[in-house]
Amino acid sequence: MPRRVAVVGYGCVNIGNYPETSEDELASDVLCLALENAGISKEDVNGLITTPNLKNTLMDSGLQASIIAEQMRIAPTSMAEISCGGVAAGLAIKHAMNEIMLGYIDVAICYGAERERSMRERLAAQLLGQPPRGPEFLDPTAQPFTGFGIIWAYACSGRRYMHEFGADEEHFAMASVRNRKNAAHNPWAAFKEPIGVEDVLNSATLCSPIKLLDSCASLDGAAAVILASEERAKKITDTRVYVKAVGEYHDNSCCVPTDRCDKSLTTFVAAREAAKEAFRRAKLKPSDIDVAEIYAPFSPQELILPEDLGWFEKGEMIKAIEDGSTEIGGRIPINTDGGLLSRGHPSMVTPFYETINIVRQLRNEAGKLQVDKAETGLMHCEGGTVNNCIVFIFQRGD
Amino acid sequence: MSVSNLSFLCPTITSYARNYWEGLKKRKLKAQKCNKCGEVFFPPRARCPKCLGKQISWVELSGRGELYSWSEIHIPPLALEKPYVLGIIDLKEKVGRIITRIDAGPEDLKVGMEMKINYVDVEENLTLCTFKPVACSTRKSSHSNSKQKRVKERLSQRT
Repeated sequence: MPRRVAVVGYGCVNIGNYPETSEDELASDVLCLALENAGISKEDVNGLITTPNLKNTLMDSGLQASIIAEQMRIAPTSMAEISCGGVAAGLAIKHAMNEIMLGYIDVAICYGAERERSMRERLAAQLLGQPPRGPEFLDPTAQPFTGFGIIWAYACSGRRYMHEFGADEEHFAMASVRNRKNAAHNPWAAFKEPIGVEDVLNSATLCSPIKLLDSCASLDGAAAVILASEERAKKITDTRVYVKAVGEYHDNSCCVPTDRCDKSLTTFVAAREAAKEAFRRAKLKPSDIDVAEIYAPFSPQELILPEDLGWFEKGEMIKAIEDGSTEIGGRIPINTDGGLLSRGHPSMVTPFYETINIVRQLRNEAGKLQVDKAETGLMHCEGGTVNNCIVFIFQRGD
Repeated sequence: MSVSNLSFLCPTITSYARNYWEGLKKRKLKAQKCNKCGEVFFPPRARCPKCLGKQISWVELSGRGELYSWSEIHIPPLALEKPYVLGIIDLKEKVGRIITRIDAGPEDLKVGMEMKINYVDVEENLTLCTFKPVACSTRKSSHSNSKQKRVKERLSQRT
């Protein structure tokens, strides 16, 4: 039997702006918070796994974790900096879990620290004195008229969903409103002022049908979670949240693939297959999930992803977002901490924040956001334009 | 050759894709065909994605397709003026998609409509392609209609 792995601690900073705080400081802050939360010392840690830091010029050489190891005098026997688009942080957790299951280590900290400002600095440096170039992660045939981000792809996904299933922009707006309502009680969320459907509809158009309030904001953030083997977890805490199962799937495309016409932007195969695999391994079904965190950078995907993850048939989220099925107290509470839209979205860190919310829910620590009797939670993250997905199922256990 | 003042971002031109860009210059949309397994594929690749063969020839496509989806971009990258429409076109031969600028306003567009290619010389040595609805007149896009108007239209469509 492989060893069971539990989440035993976490720490994070408020998402916002940190113009004067460097990534290494943010990282060491959240590592300390996580150690304190778990009640262990840094000498107990033998795995140190991080995600890319977008400012540091050492980024490409993967020395972030080394810097932290030096600064904090931690001597890990397993270390990695994991880069893989938006799923990087999910993959960091998966890697730590595997290392523990295989018996290489007992306790791992996974963390990330990201500053939006640093991304802009990077881009500015790249652009200086050069003619503007298309985004290199897209096929050259698509480069001349696309932007640096991929919001346009999510916008086309939303437009197509409207066409296929009859959704209106109001339905997308309702997801933003639900998230904002939840974020009001999340201590780490960046956006807490209440908003209504009209506010969303009247906010500035970014890439139609996506408007400002349908959109996540790239902000600064840092977070850490600590994983431990079952044996160690039992010594550390009485409220253990186990990683019950993980599913991962890549649909062999990058963003909106240009080499075929069969990738749907209204059914995300990667989300569907990763969830199926996670449920199969956990021997659970979608209705067994009490609370879920989904990685939806824009409001249309707040409707599409819950269908692909298994709680609704295609098109059913239109009614579900109207009738409150995904609110706290509803059939499947989703993004009870505000999601990417209201919590804010430091992309290399977001899956850690998602994990923290699920752990808090399963430990009964979520306060006003608490889902009654939450014992099993699902965390979904994705990269590209939902090309690859990782789905975690967490469960409170003995 | 007269050069259009259409703003754009420089694409990365790899050696194996030169024929594609040369083709655009000659008003031809080209895909590749594997000499070994016969697979026709787009966009240009160094190897056949099916059998990984490297002996590749070029075939001409019709330049027609279907509008899979679109978005009006109000936050373009530095070099592009706003707003403009970006679309995903499923090529008629079903070998792949082109993601490019659409020469029409939102009011002229409908998901699933038939589209055709338009070639634009943007530099002495670079021609790009855009797409426009087959049914649309050849007029230049003039779609700076206000958002309120569109919200109103949408609401009236619902009732």
